[in-house]
Amino acid sequence: MPSTSQAYNGAELGKSLKSGSRRALDRKTRLSIYNKSFKMICIACACFVCLILFSILFLMGRTGVLTFETVSPATFFFSTEWVPENDQYGALVFIFGTLALTFLTMLISVPLSVIIAVFLSEMTPGWLKTALRPVMDLLVGIPSVVYGFLGMTVLIPLLRSVTGTSMGDGLLAAAIVLTIMVLPTISRITDDAIVAVPKKYRDASYALGSTRFQTIVKVVIPAARSGIMYAVILGMARAIGETMAVVMVIGNTPQLADELFKPTAVLTSNIVMQIANVPFDSAWNYALYMMGFLLLIISLVMIVLVRLFQRKGVKV
Amino acid sequence: MKTKWFKNIAFTAIALTVAFSSVPTASAASKLSGKIVVNGSSALLPLTLQAANEFKKLNPKVRIAASAAGSVTGPQAVRKGIADIGACDWDASTDVPGFKKFDGQVANKVAVIPFAAVTNSNVKVGDLTTKQLQDIFSGKVKNWKEVGGADADIVVVNRAFGSGTRVNFQMKALNGTDFMTKGDNYKEVKSSGDMKTAIETTPNAIGYIDLVYVTSKMSALKINGVAATEQNVINGSYKVWSYGYYMTKGEPTGAVKAFIEYVQSKTFQNGSLKKLKFIPISAMKK
Repeated sequence: MPSTSQAYNGAELGKSLKSGSRRALDRKTRLSIYNKSFKMICIACACFVCLILFSILFLMGRTGVLTFETVSPATFFFSTEWVPENDQYGALVFIFGTLALTFLTMLISVPLSVIIAVFLSEMTPGWLKTALRPVMDLLVGIPSVVYGFLGMTVLIPLLRSVTGTSMGDGLLAAAIVLTIMVLPTISRITDDAIVAVPKKYRDASYALGSTRFQTIVKVVIPAARSGIMYAVILGMARAIGETMAVVMVIGNTPQLADELFKPTAVLTSNIVMQIANVPFDSAWNYALYMMGFLLLIISLVMIVLVRLFQRKGVKV
Repeated sequence: MKTKWFKNIAFTAIALTVAFSSVPTASAASKLSGKIVVNGSSALLPLTLQAANEFKKLNPKVRIAASAAGSVTGPQAVRKGIADIGACDWDASTDVPGFKKFDGQVANKVAVIPFAAVTNSNVKVGDLTTKQLQDIFSGKVKNWKEVGGADADIVVVNRAFGSGTRVNFQMKALNGTDFMTKGDNYKEVKSSGDMKTAIETTPNAIGYIDLVYVTSKMSALKINGVAATEQNVINGSYKVWSYGYYMTKGEPTGAVKAFIEYVQSKTFQNGSLKKLKFIPISAMKK
């Protein structure tokens, strides 16, 4: 950049413009004012965003910590009794529910997504690729409440008739809905990661006499590993934070999910079910804030992990 | 060229806005002015919005902002000074199960809301006593055959704590006994709409809902032999109903008072309120 600005900042050019436009400041000064003020605006915006982020963290954390005035941290984190009407605030049910749901979702969605991505990038003819990729991208944009409603009206009756349970709500139903939601995200990013694997790796593998299956499983997927991890973490972050779809199929009962078909609750669903109805300035309200703060922390950790993997991913 | 075109549009828009906004002001006869904020019950929101529209035509200088987030937020918002009127499905100036009374607030009756215990249409039981309802919703009775139905597990669908419908159902249909809070066939839903879907799609389910939400895909139970109909609510034989209230900090004054009086007026009660399927307060004996 310095070389071009040098050329335009020549004294001759500045003078001619000045005489032509009868302005108080010459072009050089005006340019530098514009540039400097634009830079200031950009910095101010960046600072503003950071300020908002930290205020949210601070507010959630500060309000959440007030919980511990009435509830001991041990009770909050290790008790399964959530009966706010009787001042019992044990959040273990929801923390466990969130972790179990995310784990179950990943268990179903990761192998599926990777297979879809391999199919998209390695096996599909070009015309089908150009048709399928935009469809996957469109799936990401469907509002989660639509997935939730379909889960409630189509999936749950189906699960009920297949398994013979009387309700069908629970971890498995929620995990299936979440799987459908995160599939496009994970498989599209994995797809990109696989496409980015250099052709020479495949050529070398084929040259050694490997089959296509061996090449994909032993060469391509390990080479795209960091990109796939990045996709998985993004998918996990989405699954953890998802609220509307989960609340419609999980059953919203504060009990430990020791079976796949037992109505239970997770952090997000419990917050959205109760936040509108709690009295202000109550331990109940603070406990919900604390749960929100936990979610924030979890997603921040996820983002940090994504960053770390992204840095590694440059190599591929 | 482009700027001229833009200027024209902008000028026309401004001119139109000025023209339209000045017409009703000019014809205004009322001297009332001010801003009324209504928050609270989502069941009462359609009524509030309709009333606000009609009231604004009569009193153009009064602005009304209405929103809803759940019954208990109504009196809470009034206490905090965020809202002038807190719409609530129960009389928040008295103690109810789970909620202490809100001191210094006045409850203004604006409508009658009937509730019905409903089941999925596959359930053959059509009539339950108060005792049977209490046993089902507290989890003591788990199978339909114990109350005269088929041999099938009862699925209990409940509204989340804090719902006005839940408070009223608990007070009026269960005489204040507690709900179960967990179980293999127990779930909670967020809104009347979710309750409707859950009851319609879950075999052997039982729940409760505002009478106006009852559809042909579910059946409304008789309670102690009395059917849930508007007629039975009015003649006093069906007990599961409640007044809808506008909570105010002290006695209402000024524009707020005028608005509440408009909602309570015969014109509104027998007109729009009936059309929205609420029952006028004047229809009740006591």
